[in-house]
Amino acid sequence: MPLLEVKDLDIHYHVQGGILKAVEGISFSLEKGRSLGFVGESGCGKTTLGMALMRLLPSNGFISDGQIIFDGEDIRKKNEAEMRKVRWQKISMIFQAAMNALNPVQRVGNQIVEAITTHSPLLKKDEAFKMVKNLFQLVGIPGDRIKDYPHQYSGGMKQRAVIAMALACKPKLIIADEPTTALDVIVQDQILQEIKGLQEEFQISIIFISHDISVVADVSHEIGIMYAGELVEYGNTEEVFESPRHPYTKALLSSYPTLNGEKNMLTPVPGETPNLMNPQTGCRFFDRCPNAISSCKINPAEWVTISPAHKVLCYQCGRDCGI
Amino acid sequence: MVKNSEAILKLHYIFKKYKTRGTFFGPQSKDVIALNSISLKILKGEIFGLVGESGSGKTTVGRLIVKLEKPEKGEIYLDGQEILSLRGDQLKGFRRRVQMIFQDPYQSLNPQLSVLDAVSEPLIIHKIGNNHTIEEITRKAISSVGLSPPEDFINRYPHQLSGGQRQRVAIARAMILKPEIVVADEPTSMLDASISAQIFNILLQMREASNITFLFITHSLAAARYLCDRIAVIYKGNLMEIGPAEEILHNPKHPYTQALIDALPKLDLSSSKKYYNSLRKEERIVKENAGCPFFSRCNVSDETKCGQNIPPMKELGKSHSAACFYA
Repeated sequence: MPLLEVKDLDIHYHVQGGILKAVEGISFSLEKGRSLGFVGESGCGKTTLGMALMRLLPSNGFISDGQIIFDGEDIRKKNEAEMRKVRWQKISMIFQAAMNALNPVQRVGNQIVEAITTHSPLLKKDEAFKMVKNLFQLVGIPGDRIKDYPHQYSGGMKQRAVIAMALACKPKLIIADEPTTALDVIVQDQILQEIKGLQEEFQISIIFISHDISVVADVSHEIGIMYAGELVEYGNTEEVFESPRHPYTKALLSSYPTLNGEKNMLTPVPGETPNLMNPQTGCRFFDRCPNAISSCKINPAEWVTISPAHKVLCYQCGRDCGI
Repeated sequence: MVKNSEAILKLHYIFKKYKTRGTFFGPQSKDVIALNSISLKILKGEIFGLVGESGSGKTTVGRLIVKLEKPEKGEIYLDGQEILSLRGDQLKGFRRRVQMIFQDPYQSLNPQLSVLDAVSEPLIIHKIGNNHTIEEITRKAISSVGLSPPEDFINRYPHQLSGGQRQRVAIARAMILKPEIVVADEPTSMLDASISAQIFNILLQMREASNITFLFITHSLAAARYLCDRIAVIYKGNLMEIGPAEEILHNPKHPYTQALIDALPKLDLSSSKKYYNSLRKEERIVKENAGCPFFSRCNVSDETKCGQNIPPMKELGKSHSAACFYA
């Protein structure tokens, strides 16, 4: 049984003027010890998805349909008290710019101790401190920095502290939303390698969310490409990269300048992402799709299986591939 | 491609420092050296990339060139004319020739000015055109950055535009005076990949059409490769390596450049990337300002040479130079 199973998830927001359909019909599963990356541009719904999995949507957000089954339990059916037992202990999260989420007036070590003792009230403080020292060693922060304040840490160190916090209660799943975006390239690489190492060592499942496709590709076994609230392509990372099928995936891949290979003209998809207040019928990518035909505007896009490890949400792809 | 190989901009031993604010209980204010006597030449018509991480001093270079800041020491020459002493009309003339595109499209546009007002403002300040022609020139500028038809955009305010659209407005505004040099400071780092790619292509088109010289400041080596003819790599206020973009990126000689390349996440999974391994596993503890700025992290360095002396910029052939004793 997969560790996490999400079926037909719809997430909406109440906004001025109506309902914003931020995420529609998302389904995926994640096995123990595997990592899944979600890539997409601003507004595609990836952060909303991450928050929804931990039931941390803002007050105007709600899951309107679908299932989230984690470790055999229905997350949607839990009340807030039950969710508190799930968060940090079973699922933990590394937020965007998490380094800024560290309490500036509390020593870093104490903040992590607090996270541990809150969820394991029987643990003594000095035992918790020992755990923090071990965690720091794990993530590469020198032990003598435990009593420092956040402002005394560099960006990379703060991020490592946040990762230590996310690991503190030995969760089964970590949701990492842009964990390295605010960091320089060299530090980013070090943090990503560390996350990969920790994942392998402790067999933690990770959901990795980013707008940067190269970062996600580096750390994820499987990858999901999101556009305008929908999952448009999903599968084994190498396979999706080597033969992307969805026109958006292809356009996204060709928006990134590369260091190696031929220096080709970047050919991004023109235009901008659609308004999700009144998403049109049919495929949400219709207006920007170079392959669209008239029936794409009327019929919702369908899932087409390219291989056991690769599927794409595209009416045309099915026809083109003769599948 | 560079049509004319004369230098249009020269920086000569530029030294710039900032004073950090001392705190009441904490450390006294101290000097941070942002640029440590750097010199470089930018050729007319080229897109010159300045690549560095945060804190490297790259934005400071841009701000000095457009005279938003003054260096403590050193000179800057535009077409042979020293710019630091410009005043009055000469300064105004300078501002027509050198323009800037800032990183944050959410902060660089005046929220009270419509697109039309924002883009036409430079024309009004420099007394170019009259009531009839100003609007026409402005519409053309707005159209040229892909905001088409201009009628759809001229009356909008920044809050009614997306990040990508705002940055296009910023570009239109920078270009409307037909400047000779444009400093683009991380113009797309706050934008999504596909929007960023669109903006890059606009900059390339503009260079083709008018032979403008660009200084493109970025932390992205890949973006620098795409846009730039030549690249300089900057680290802690010092230039580490300069040369043609393809040469630097495929044949980097400075350990810092090599470390940057090694750190890039692999997008083309099939590529055979060389691993330079120029970064030490653990940083050395060193006294500040003793020797090469990269010494504490460098795997190919040694205490006696690199730890005590700042390596000079060494010519390596093919217009490629590196500030390293072992390059």
